Amino acid sequence: MKLPDKIRLTVQPEKLLIRAPGMGCHLAAIRGLVCDTARRAGVPEDDVAQVELAVDEACSNVIEHAYGVDHQWHRQEHTPEICIEIRPEPGRLVIEITDHGRRFDWAGYRPQDMQVLMQAGKTNGYGVSIMHRCMDEVSYRSDANGANTLRLVKYIKPHGAVRPAAGADQPPVP
Amino acid sequence: MKEVRIDLETRGAVDVIRLTGSLDMYSLPQLVAQVQTLFAQGHYCVVVDCRNLEYIGSAGLGAFIGFSTQSREHHGDFKLLSVPERIFKIITLLGFTKVLRLYTSEQEALDGFACG
Repeated sequence: MKLPDKIRLTVQPEKLLIRAPGMGCHLAAIRGLVCDTARRAGVPEDDVAQVELAVDEACSNVIEHAYGVDHQWHRQEHTPEICIEIRPEPGRLVIEITDHGRRFDWAGYRPQDMQVLMQAGKTNGYGVSIMHRCMDEVSYRSDANGANTLRLVKYIKPHGAVRPAAGADQPPVP
Repeated sequence: MKEVRIDLETRGAVDVIRLTGSLDMYSLPQLVAQVQTLFAQGHYCVVVDCRNLEYIGSAGLGAFIGFSTQSREHHGDFKLLSVPERIFKIITLLGFTKVLRLYTSEQEALDGFACG
């Protein structure tokens, strides 16, 4: 896959670092890199699809909310950056997505039940619940330097292991 | 850079949208514009052929929910045809099959519309 010139990669033995402009046109390339890394780490293909969805959702949130055009960051930096660090570790894949935009009130956010949203025909509000459904661990932190990091962890299950079926769609309270 | 290609066909009273590529926050507005144009013309019977859809994000899934609800409110429907297995598993995992109607046969998808 040919990468856009504006995406920078740092490949280290223990991790892959992706730096990309916070723009929607780079999401496909980011997804491709994440999927390739997950496959090489031994993540089963069904779980790769879930990791892809969660990372795409996280990066989309950064672009839309942290770096949205009406925010200070967009005015200060024409192309603010998203940094995605992917670390295969024994038994799990750790992905950290960092931005320097507007902080998200993670502790105060209570996602609505996806079933309720669906039955009401809502078009949005699914993202955080989807990340919880697709990943085994989801957490968010902000540091004093203005960096916001969403941490996603996928346990690498042996091929053939089955995840519980859909139904309990309410994610754990952050 | 991947985008989505949208091909539109009319099959009687039903509009068939054939998608090729990926639906993410970057490409989704193209589909939203297309569907809103159909709805504005009073065309609420829609089949979306997904056989060449490579990826759909949460915004796309949410849009499908909204289109389904909106079309049914106008005695139509918004049906998904030939959803690839990779995407089908995601839709099932998330429970979206409780609202979205999925078909594997184009004829079955075309049948049963109230606006036919």
